[in-house]
Amino acid sequence: MLLTASDVPALVRGAALFGSGGGGDTQDTAILLSRSMGQGVELLDPEHAPDDTVVVPVGLVGATIVLAEELPGGAEFTTALRAVERWTGTRAQALASIEAAGANALTALLVATDVGLPVVDVDLCGRALPRLDQFSIAVDGLPLTPLVLCPPGGSLVVLDHARPAQVERTVRSVLGSSGGWAAVAFPPMSLEVLRRSGTPTTTRRCLDVGRRLLDLPEAAAPARLEAATGGRVLGAGRVVEVVRSSARGFGRGSLTLRDRRTSGLLRLEMENEYLVAFEDGAPVATTPDVIAVLERRSLQAISCDRATRGSEVVALHLPGPAFWRDAPRLDAVAPRAFGIDVDPVLLPAAVSP
Amino acid sequence: MLPLASLLDLPGWRGRVRVLGGSPTGRRVGSVVLVTDRVEPRVGVLVATASDPAAEGSAWRLDALLRRAADAGAGAVLLPTTTDLPAPTRLLCSRLEVCVLGSEGSFLELLTEAAVALAAPEVVRARTVLRVHTGLASGRGDGPARLVTLVAEALGVPVAVLDRGGQHLEGSPQEAGLAIPRPGEAVPQRAVLAGGTTLAQPVLLPGIPGVQRWLVAWVPNERDDVGETAADCLVAGAVALAGRLAMDRLVLERDARARTALLADVLRGGDDASALLRRRAAATGWPLDGWHVGVHVSTGDGVDNAGLRADALAAFAATGTELVLVEQDSGWTGWWTAPREPSAEQVRTLAASLRAGHRELQGSTGCATGVGRPHPGPGGIAATLAEASDAARLAGNRPERGRFLHVDQLGVAQTLLAWTRTNTFEPAAQSLLAPLGAPDGELVRTLAAYLDAESSVTETAAVLGVHRNTVAARTARVEQLLHVDLGDPDQRLALHLACRALTT
Repeated sequence: MLLTASDVPALVRGAALFGSGGGGDTQDTAILLSRSMGQGVELLDPEHAPDDTVVVPVGLVGATIVLAEELPGGAEFTTALRAVERWTGTRAQALASIEAAGANALTALLVATDVGLPVVDVDLCGRALPRLDQFSIAVDGLPLTPLVLCPPGGSLVVLDHARPAQVERTVRSVLGSSGGWAAVAFPPMSLEVLRRSGTPTTTRRCLDVGRRLLDLPEAAAPARLEAATGGRVLGAGRVVEVVRSSARGFGRGSLTLRDRRTSGLLRLEMENEYLVAFEDGAPVATTPDVIAVLERRSLQAISCDRATRGSEVVALHLPGPAFWRDAPRLDAVAPRAFGIDVDPVLLPAAVSP
Repeated sequence: MLPLASLLDLPGWRGRVRVLGGSPTGRRVGSVVLVTDRVEPRVGVLVATASDPAAEGSAWRLDALLRRAADAGAGAVLLPTTTDLPAPTRLLCSRLEVCVLGSEGSFLELLTEAAVALAAPEVVRARTVLRVHTGLASGRGDGPARLVTLVAEALGVPVAVLDRGGQHLEGSPQEAGLAIPRPGEAVPQRAVLAGGTTLAQPVLLPGIPGVQRWLVAWVPNERDDVGETAADCLVAGAVALAGRLAMDRLVLERDARARTALLADVLRGGDDASALLRRRAAATGWPLDGWHVGVHVSTGDGVDNAGLRADALAAFAATGTELVLVEQDSGWTGWWTAPREPSAEQVRTLAASLRAGHRELQGSTGCATGVGRPHPGPGGIAATLAEASDAARLAGNRPERGRFLHVDQLGVAQTLLAWTRTNTFEPAAQSLLAPLGAPDGELVRTLAAYLDAESSVTETAAVLGVHRNTVAARTARVEQLLHVDLGDPDQRLALHLACRALTT
């Protein structure tokens, strides 16, 4: 299908929702994408593209919030893509998103408009995840390298022969010593590999849910919100506390809201993303399902770093990708992978391809 | 099962454990479990966790622990920190009805003490009673104020000392629960009220009638486990208090003897008081010079004259009269002194205030009081006291005068008495008043009191203790029965003399 500039608002709404509070701010990227969309971008269904299509997943790592401070020169993504092609000697036939949620749901499309390649609707997370070694191919035992980082300012980092944990550490240190974000290009891989070890049709899902969200009236009733998103409302009310701690991990903290109807206390533990929801101390929703916080009236998703005390919100529990429900994969993204000692609490039906 | 409030009041817990969230009221605990992530809390337990679950910002751990504790029916959670809970967690405490306690110091010691208290409450009880005894033995309970503090601290409930009538003397401010259930009965008492139980232990002195003090404790319902312990501690405290009162009593009796001896010397010395006697009197604060008006208060049998001297002094002081007062076997003797001869008006005012003081004392002692005339100098003391003593003796037979006589009126009265006590007058008086019924009947008494009171209905009513309308009705009936006019001075005089002859 062909994505055009008119699809961007719905895509942005959906992507923010599946960011689960993380994945980066979609607004700036959305503006860039709307301007460069031109004739549109071809979004390929992974089931209908040829097995041997060479796909390069591209995206953005680091804090997208610093995009506003350290402006992109514009060529970082293309530079990264060309560098990985050069390093491997393989030409990309299509692009894919590394993480089709939050800002990264849009970056692959943005790059595609520059280089004139189609985008395959498959990604490496199916939602937003904070660490590179949690990406689907790493969890399935496939290499993340050679991987190219292109921070703003023109420098280029090629990382090869590194295990996923090393990749994660190295990327973080590079980000810390550069502008805080970087364009990233993953090694070229065949679509056949991506079908097995990737999460398909996430962009399509963002688009569909985004469209339905846009159709909702202001301050829509919980039942309508549930129908539009396929999730369930965990609670709706005022945020009574937001605590952020720098002691462990990055972006660690919790948000507590008091449900207006039941007076129950809903605590959302977060680490870049909303990870676990506790209702009166009992876990009621966890990763890898998606937990989203929406502003009560506008139904805009509120990211973890923008949540403030006193705001009126709705907390939603949305099914996560089926990919993460298989036993060995689940351990990589379950609450204990984030240091929260509770079992996963997931909605009955996962999102299937 | 112990109330959580009792655990909070354990000696080792006091000041080291405080409530961080939820309310301890109404929660009961049967045992303590140290919870790890693997052990589930059980019903009726205090869940203790040795590591702060909320450390490093993982407030969800505390939430989850509270939830598990609440689901299992545990009443409270003890944390090894006194850091204030975040607002949402405090809300959660109220919502889940779990009380969170924070502690500092040795966590193990706190748990051990709680475990002993829960497993063997009698050990705690024995320790508490022993602590009271040890405190008393070491002198930390000397005096009612310190005694109350000692017992109240050991028990952790309000304790007070009340006087025999229930007036508050020491300890917690008087509240409803610290009242004696039945002040008239000199036995240990217990009254169950809505909010808790009152325990009252009488303080008795051998050989001296009546309850000297009450030691009272108020055990609120949430501390009902300390009821028996409180009773034991009150007994110990009452014994100590009795010892203290006996000591005070000794001093009182010694002073009384000294005063009685000094009074005897003053009376014997007459106007030629020696320099030594004057010095002794001055040292005691007794004025020998000037003009004296004597007072004698005669009390009935079984009245503790030494013990009640302070009450008598207070009764007269309340009317603005400062008296010297000396205990006697039969009551108190005393005098009032003015530098110059008091005017008739001054004497009348003094007599009125002494009469008010007498009324104050009559309720508790049933006394009769006589007042002498003013006499000057050291010898005048003996003279006025002799008059006061005579007047008191006469007053004892004159209920219609309220058992109070001032010797100024005594001269006339005695003359009248002497004149009317004749063989011819008495039968005449009897026949005159016969229509009114028996001489001790209410009409004769009313008539006598009415005439004594100078035809004042109000005064008569006060003396007889009836309503003034009753007095008016009775005097009207007297006039009707006798066919007399009480407004006629001649008829009034005849009736007054007849009354005197029959009723004295």
